[in-house]
Amino acid sequence: MKELSLNILDVAENSVKAGASLTQILLTERDDVLTLEIVDDGCGMDEDIVRSVTDPFYTTRTTRKVGMGIPLLKLACEQTDGSLTIESVTQEANPVEHGTHVTATFHTDHIDFTPLGDVSSSILTLIQGHPDTDFLFRHQMEDRVVELDTRELREVLEDVPLNSYDVMEWIRGNLQEQYEMLPEDSNPSGED
Amino acid sequence: MKVSDLLAHGFEAVSLPDGEREIDGVYIGDLLSWVMGRAQMDNAWITIMTNVNVIAVASLADTSCVILAEGVEMPADLVETAQQKEVNILVSSQPIYETAVQLAGLLS
Repeated sequence: MKELSLNILDVAENSVKAGASLTQILLTERDDVLTLEIVDDGCGMDEDIVRSVTDPFYTTRTTRKVGMGIPLLKLACEQTDGSLTIESVTQEANPVEHGTHVTATFHTDHIDFTPLGDVSSSILTLIQGHPDTDFLFRHQMEDRVVELDTRELREVLEDVPLNSYDVMEWIRGNLQEQYEMLPEDSNPSGED
Repeated sequence: MKVSDLLAHGFEAVSLPDGEREIDGVYIGDLLSWVMGRAQMDNAWITIMTNVNVIAVASLADTSCVILAEGVEMPADLVETAQQKEVNILVSSQPIYETAVQLAGLLS
């Protein structure tokens, strides 16, 4: 993909499809390494499936014979000498703590590093498409952090759907503000 | 022009399960997600990428063949996958532009 944000969207959609009630999208930038984690509490995958999802000829789709989400993310990591790992616990194996944890690392100083792109738009697309599931987005940069937790929004909004126009616009503005905030302007109370 | 006709013009077969397939147009690209949405059915697709996803994209876009330019080599296990998935793959020793120009001549 031209932007990693599109890969993020693709893989997070898999979490929603796996029945996750909370999908976490965590980005951490430190010393020229970008770590992307997508963590869900969905139904999980057994070992055979975990092995096969990096194979493009494996897919849960019925409309076509190949699934490119994870394979393209893996390619994007490996092109920068990074790596992709997937850990998963099925609901059958552990009825309480189950889900999937995808970790992708990228060397951002590698010439083949794909730019992160517009992550805010990906997050908005996810919320718009799935207003009844929760997302935690956290982007930890060297000097600041951008965070959005739909569970907190839900508490404040009560019955207002997250994908209503006003809420979406508020989220868009809020993320933009957080990204544009200079480090010295960061919250004086120390909260993130 | 059929995919197998290219063999007479300096292209080498890596995987040729369906040489009878007709080539209709050419697409060039290395960013697989981009190619996936833009290559047309029956195009010959020129690329320098050689990972398993190339086979998947060729299969998905239903291109007539993949042409690996610059003489790049497909790993042996992937050649096997290409055969299994019935994806035609040829190699050209020429760079991408020269390969495309040659194809333009042959297809017109």
